[in-house]
Amino acid sequence: MIYGDRNTGILVQGATGKQGEFHIGLMNAYAQQVGGTGVVAGVTPGKGGQQVHGIPVYNTVKDAMKHHDIGAAVIFVPAGAAADAIMEEANAGITNIVCITEHIPVQDTMKAIAYARMEGASVIGPNCPGLLSPGEVKMGIMPAGLFSRGNVGVISRSGTLTYEVVDELTRAGIGQSTVVGIGGDPVIGQTFVDVLEQFGNDPQTKAVVLIGEVGGNLEEEGATSTDLPIVSYIAGVSAPPDKRMGHAGAIIEGGEGDARSKIARLKKHGVPVASRVSEIPEMVRELFRCRC
Amino acid sequence: MKLREYEAKNILKAAGIPVPAGFLIRSAEELTPRFGELGDAFVLKAQVDVGGRGKAGGILMAGRADGTKVAKELFGKQIKGLPVKEILAEQKLDIKHEYYLSITVDRSSKQPLILFTDAGGVEIEITAKEHPELIRKVTANPLLRDLPPFMIRELIGTAPKEIGPIISKLYRIFIEKDAILAEINPLVTTPGGVFAADAKIIVDDNALGRQGIAVNRDLSEREREAEKHGFSYVELDGKIGVIGNGAGLTMATLDLIEYYGGKAANFLDVGGGAESGRVENAIRLVSSVPGVEVVVVNLLGGITKCDEVAKGIIAAGVSQKVIVRLAGTNEAEGRKLLSEKGYEMLDTMDLVVKKAVGVTA
Repeated sequence: MIYGDRNTGILVQGATGKQGEFHIGLMNAYAQQVGGTGVVAGVTPGKGGQQVHGIPVYNTVKDAMKHHDIGAAVIFVPAGAAADAIMEEANAGITNIVCITEHIPVQDTMKAIAYARMEGASVIGPNCPGLLSPGEVKMGIMPAGLFSRGNVGVISRSGTLTYEVVDELTRAGIGQSTVVGIGGDPVIGQTFVDVLEQFGNDPQTKAVVLIGEVGGNLEEEGATSTDLPIVSYIAGVSAPPDKRMGHAGAIIEGGEGDARSKIARLKKHGVPVASRVSEIPEMVRELFRCRC
Repeated sequence: MKLREYEAKNILKAAGIPVPAGFLIRSAEELTPRFGELGDAFVLKAQVDVGGRGKAGGILMAGRADGTKVAKELFGKQIKGLPVKEILAEQKLDIKHEYYLSITVDRSSKQPLILFTDAGGVEIEITAKEHPELIRKVTANPLLRDLPPFMIRELIGTAPKEIGPIISKLYRIFIEKDAILAEINPLVTTPGGVFAADAKIIVDDNALGRQGIAVNRDLSEREREAEKHGFSYVELDGKIGVIGNGAGLTMATLDLIEYYGGKAANFLDVGGGAESGRVENAIRLVSSVPGVEVVVVNLLGGITKCDEVAKGIIAAGVSQKVIVRLAGTNEAEGRKLLSEKGYEMLDTMDLVVKKAVGVTA
């Protein structure tokens, strides 16, 4: 597993909002199921002293840090406040930050990520479902019921498409080490390269499924940066140019970032690319066959 | 959202970047009394929200003698299917040299990327392919308010020093206007100084609110309607309507339709928490697209309540065939509700898509 384990204490920023409250419940239900620590503190400015699902809420991240051992934070605050939340957590010394929030202006994201990097924190997201290491820890909003523990890492720019892939893997008897949703925005903290580096140092992870989509070329950059065996899937083969396909980052611009050229470049580097999600489990099995 | 050229140039002008003398007209008659502001030769540029307008006949040269006639001709044209409602009339510049300057968001470095080249006037993609060595680049730490002078020196090289302040002003515009692209192509030298002959600014869709932009002009009417419901929507031109949850899964559904030889009519991501009302609105919207013969609903999520989704599908009660793939909680109830009303619910996305392609074949 990467970015935390069952012993990681989690802080939720935006704890008293509808989303925050709902997902604190689900994260802690998962923690209970696997015997982990889960969410230990919440933060909402002005709501200090309240409780959410029995978890104390503080006005500032620094207040929460005084009372709890916190290794990671998950952000549910609205778009206008999310960049500030990232910076507050990084400044308070939290090193793993997951930002679920969607629709953050990209200028704010660039600033927050640059600041977090300066403070030595890594940011997953924004506009992401977070991560889940089956049997260990859930930081974010992924539906835990679909996951099973194993040795395949999954990295994806998408949410539900990731669940689809995980569901296919689990049904095929292929378990996952950690599943990371890196986010659908053009600028994100941890990119394929960063997560693959983590997987490279993780003894549990033996292969990786890399799920990309139209826009940019970070999939290719990632796939060429690692020695781990990879199976890839790229969404958006049928996407028209210059149209944003749901995600802020999913756009073919100036003739760059289309799915077919991404797929061609991945294949050139020897990465097998599935043309349908349902082909992925068999291709992963094939990877393991090749290795022995 | 892409700003029109005159809007972008107004921003440049307000920031102190020289632009050619000119003004906006909405009819040919508005031009005649103002010839004096333009000089003897001028350029008429259609302000349409579409790229490549020059090649499509949207930019015409004119003079005092034929100015009104040429303006009338341009107002009567359609540029790539769009009517010309506004024309920017500008003095013709005596161009000595053309440069290219742009600022974009670089996904890889996660910073603004500034590009400058002495080889302006042509498409930057072509220069990048044929003469990448001619393009000078820097990325700037987004925590800095302004570009440091050394970066500007690195960018301009041996080009005229007057370009320096233009780069720093354009960078300020990029930051303050929440741009994801600010481009001057060409940036030209003339006997009268340096001018931004053309300008392009694209504002971040996630920042339109704080930039005071109420309506996103880049969206079609149906796309705007979808946005009001909180859907991400893109119009395509096939016969299979598509509703999914999550951008990636919805895109994968479109790709699967293409894989099986069909064509999607749209992309619609209903977003999280697909309650019956949202699903009903989504189905109504998609089924109202001309030419849609069948609707594919592909929803997956641990917290999606299948009975809620089923109620939405039934409430919409559209005339087209609706084929459903649902995975989530309360699956059995959802399946029961749907089958009672004669809707088809299948187990995988491959199955629903294959079925839908069969309907339109």
